[in-house]
Amino acid sequence: MKKMELSRIIYCVALTYLCFSAANAEIINKNVERVLDLSSQLVKTTYKITAEETTGKPIKEYVFIVTEPNLSYISAKDGLNKKVEVQKIQEGGASNVFSYKLTFSSPSSKQSIVIETVSTKNILPHPSEIKQNDKQLVKFVGKLYLYSKYSTSTQKTNVILSSSNILSHTQVKPFSVSSNKVFFGPYENIGAQSEDELVLHYENQTPFLTVNTLERTIEVSHWGNIAVKEDIQLTHSGAKLKGSFSRYDFQKDGRSGQSAVKSYKTYLPASANGVYYRDTNGNISTSNMNLMRDFVDLDLRPRFPLFGGWKTQYTLGYNVPSYEYLYSSGNKYMLKMHLIDHIHDNMLIDEAVVNIILPEGSTNIELITPYSVKRHQNDLMYTYLDTVGRPVISFSKQNLVENHISDFTLKYSFSKVSLLQEPLLVIGFIYIIFLFTIVFLRLDLSITSHSHKD
Amino acid sequence: MNRSSKIFNSKVAGYSSLITFAVLLIAWIAGFSSRLFAVIRFESIIHEFDPWFNYRATAYMVEHGWYKFLNWFDERAWYPLGRIVGGTVYPGLMITSGSIHYLLHILNIPVHIRDICVFLAPVFSGLTSISTYLLTKELWSPGAGLFAASFIAIVPGYISRSVAGSYDNEGIAIFALQFTYFLWVRSVKTGSVFWSAGAALSYFYMVSAWGGYVFIINLIPLHVFVLLIMGRYSPRLLTSYSTFFILGLLFSMQIPFVGFQPIRTSEHMAAMGVFVLLMAVAVLRHLQSVLSRNEFRKLFIVGGLLAAILVFVAVVVLTVLGVVAPWSGRFYSLWDTGYAKIHIPIIASVSEHQPTTWFSFFFDLHILVCAFPVGLWYCIKQVNDERVFVVLYAISAVYFAGVMVRLMLTLTPVVCMLAGVAFSGLLDVFLQEDASKRVASTTSSLPETEDQEESLEKKSFYDKAGKLKHRTKHDTTHESGISSNLKSIVILAVLMILMMFAVHCTWVTSNAYSSPSIVLAFHNSQDGSRNILDDFREAYYWLSQNTADDARIMSWWDYGYQIAGMANRTTLVDNNTWNNSHIALVGKAMSSTEEKSYEIMTSLDVDYVLVIFGGVIGYSGDDINKFLWMVRIAEGEHPKDIKESDFFTDRGEFRVDAEGAPALLNCLMYKLSYYRFGDLKLDYRGPSGYDRTRNAVIGNKDFDLTYLEEAYTTEHWLVRIYRVKKPFEFNRPSLKAKDRLIPPTNFVSRKNLKRRKGFIRNRPTVIKGKRTLK
Repeated sequence: MKKMELSRIIYCVALTYLCFSAANAEIINKNVERVLDLSSQLVKTTYKITAEETTGKPIKEYVFIVTEPNLSYISAKDGLNKKVEVQKIQEGGASNVFSYKLTFSSPSSKQSIVIETVSTKNILPHPSEIKQNDKQLVKFVGKLYLYSKYSTSTQKTNVILSSSNILSHTQVKPFSVSSNKVFFGPYENIGAQSEDELVLHYENQTPFLTVNTLERTIEVSHWGNIAVKEDIQLTHSGAKLKGSFSRYDFQKDGRSGQSAVKSYKTYLPASANGVYYRDTNGNISTSNMNLMRDFVDLDLRPRFPLFGGWKTQYTLGYNVPSYEYLYSSGNKYMLKMHLIDHIHDNMLIDEAVVNIILPEGSTNIELITPYSVKRHQNDLMYTYLDTVGRPVISFSKQNLVENHISDFTLKYSFSKVSLLQEPLLVIGFIYIIFLFTIVFLRLDLSITSHSHKD
Repeated sequence: MNRSSKIFNSKVAGYSSLITFAVLLIAWIAGFSSRLFAVIRFESIIHEFDPWFNYRATAYMVEHGWYKFLNWFDERAWYPLGRIVGGTVYPGLMITSGSIHYLLHILNIPVHIRDICVFLAPVFSGLTSISTYLLTKELWSPGAGLFAASFIAIVPGYISRSVAGSYDNEGIAIFALQFTYFLWVRSVKTGSVFWSAGAALSYFYMVSAWGGYVFIINLIPLHVFVLLIMGRYSPRLLTSYSTFFILGLLFSMQIPFVGFQPIRTSEHMAAMGVFVLLMAVAVLRHLQSVLSRNEFRKLFIVGGLLAAILVFVAVVVLTVLGVVAPWSGRFYSLWDTGYAKIHIPIIASVSEHQPTTWFSFFFDLHILVCAFPVGLWYCIKQVNDERVFVVLYAISAVYFAGVMVRLMLTLTPVVCMLAGVAFSGLLDVFLQEDASKRVASTTSSLPETEDQEESLEKKSFYDKAGKLKHRTKHDTTHESGISSNLKSIVILAVLMILMMFAVHCTWVTSNAYSSPSIVLAFHNSQDGSRNILDDFREAYYWLSQNTADDARIMSWWDYGYQIAGMANRTTLVDNNTWNNSHIALVGKAMSSTEEKSYEIMTSLDVDYVLVIFGGVIGYSGDDINKFLWMVRIAEGEHPKDIKESDFFTDRGEFRVDAEGAPALLNCLMYKLSYYRFGDLKLDYRGPSGYDRTRNAVIGNKDFDLTYLEEAYTTEHWLVRIYRVKKPFEFNRPSLKAKDRLIPPTNFVSRKNLKRRKGFIRNRPTVIKGKRTLK
């Protein structure tokens, strides 16, 4: 009990010290260049920050604040293009503001940092309902200045939009517009934590597709095959369709239904074979597959064009040879595969559940993921010729984007002898059937003596 | 000598059982694989209409269990009535595939229930050919049985109902039918309770599987009756029929859908009458053996008269009292082909209930239809108890097949059996050479061979026809008359015919019976590539994804099962056409004007209307072509509102162009089919609004919908879905004058005499003047 109290005190002291040291250090953002890419449904932001310590002390840590809701991905690099560790600081208070602590491996008094963030669901259709022939207009509300703990000397913001049709935007001088780009700044000497709004209202006809749920099942077989199956539920999350749908307009008028999603591309690994694309009613016959050099390009067309608010659901599956993903030494095996894979460009996954089915008899399972995931309880699955069941490792993660496509590693041990279990089972079964037949045909079960001839 | 012949016997027995096994296995494999055209060309999918319901019911049973299924009240069908599914289906099909699914899942074989349903009928075709083999073997010879088994495996008449994906009752019922007949014939032959109890059990399976069980319960009594008339009464017959009848009656009443029908409807009365008759005959026989001749005669006359009067009075009284129901409409239509057309348009509207054309006999049976009378002749020539049965089977099946295309299915097995008998008989005569050679090689004298062959016959392994002794004599007298050249020519000709039969079967299966009908394929005439029209599934999937879960969809009854199965939405009417007036109401809504049908639709809580329209691609099975049936069925129930003659032109034509009847051009079905079609130009040269199915430019092009709006139309316009607007959505619905009053409220005016008028303070004074010039 006492020990815990003590540690708590130490923790508090450390925390206050940290705050003080941060405040005293007087880091300023010398120069900030921000690129806001709003050309799709995602907000992709790149910050180039040159931070300086006025007193000349080396900067070890830098606190970066994100104000956008639904932040999906963040990564940082230093001037030498080396990855910088990003750590989320737990905070009570405001729910929309998250602070991240960047720890540099090589401290110096002048640090240049490149931070990339991707956030979702911040570009909203405005108006939220349109007719079939209308254009999809969207609105983005963000911060005009870098929301930072430190004061900023000069900063510029470049906004990239999807089209040159801009209805309105924040007009804080200096700014300039050229085609589909809007430049804000340079703004000088902005104090810490300034909260001016940046609003852009513009045309965005790119697909607003949300993957509501993705269930990815990876089934590993030691006979040389890995089967991947993805159950996907999609919604067009852009402006909802108002009024009636007209097939005539959709077919005859090129401008009609531009924001509708007719097809999209999915990239599969180059070695994917036996690809199927189906739903509960069977095969979806409208798809094309192109084999490229280093990937398989799948042109998926849902059964019907997806208008705003329309949903669809499908299953996509394929096989890959296991030698590309499964490594072994002795009884130790290691599976290295994408945790999620590409579904469509600028995709956004609300929730992904990944199930990995290992061969029967796998033990010592250890999962290493590139980012934190929520582990579910291990399960058992029974399929062809199983006796004790196959272990299923299952985990989920919310709010994923393309940047999350990276490998997980799963280590387990499996004795090679158990490979023979299933063929032996079949052989034994057939043997017993034959034996039974032989015995049965030679048995005379009748109670009368002459029935043998009948 | 004896030992060597014994060795020889066992050797032959080994070979013949190997041949039997191999032929049956090959028949099974051939039958299975020739049913897979649709799976290979398209995919593993449920076909047509009824199979979708069966599949949905099976999936429900697998998911919720057997008792839930029995008590299943389906609120998604026949809105707002609903349907008690457990009590209105023959559950045999669902139980069969459900138990296969259960077994496989116990063995950890994760097969989806859909795949079991798709492949059930092809698998059962193998069982059918085995039971046909057994039955023919009982009737004639194992050789004929093998022929019959091979025929039935590939004959189009049976394939038409059992291709992969055609998940319907008939798929398993034909097996049950043949197997019941086999067990029945066996039991008549042996007179054993074991076999007749087996026949009753198999009959029970048949009752659970198909309404066609009535055929069995009338044919078997007929067989017994004819045997009695022919004076072929025997205690074996008494044992087998009484066992079969009692057990079969009790079993058949266990099926909820059948219930008390076996003792209350006329269709089943024949079986009971024959049972009584058989008992009477048995009693008389017994008395005959006990009493003297004179006493017996007296008793016979008095007792017979009394019994006849009693039975007659009982039947009449029961029928009048309504305990025994008269014949149902579907059975009347079996005797009078014109009956359905006049009285029950809904039965007549189904194409498979039409009388059979001569052409389709050849199409479905090919050479068998020629060989079948020969086999029948053989059976009549060498008649015995069980051959009487097959003769009756043949005659009644021919009649029913002539009445209804659908009943071609019950004819097919007997045709296969008798054609097998015919071919076997033919080859027996012309393949004798081999037999005589073998006789020579065994270096044994003739009587011994005969003896040996007889013993073989007893073992029923040897591939020869029944009355061997007799025929051997017959052959020996004729052997010199048939030259070996003639023999080989005949054999070659027979083989040729059989080969052409196989080719024909494959061709028919591939071209006529292997279309899933929910996916359409057509060949592009320019580059020969195959295009797939997947509009049905496109529309159904749209419904399932983008409408409210409880949305109610109105469509013609043909599509009810598919909507329920693929879109999982509530339908008003479906292919289980049990409620004619409800269907008529939908027909009325379709054939009224938009305004009137809106009233019907709101009273039925319709959210969406689905129509099939083939005018863009030239699909002939669309709703406009079926429209006259809707009108007819609607007229049957609402003769004041709908008249068929209104939909014809003055010259009595049904046409959709400008000369069409105004009632047609303004009815809901027309508007929903052709909404905005008038703008569409299919060709650069042709006029807009040209209907390819009916080859006409539509008559009513420029119209708008007030009460409905287009919700979705598939890529080729094949399926069009409209949303029924809520009353507040269309512009200011007219209110009747008496409804326009504002209802009184508790508001009390505070205006009294002093403050009568309201006024505005500092009211600006408006001075009327001239308009200022700019």
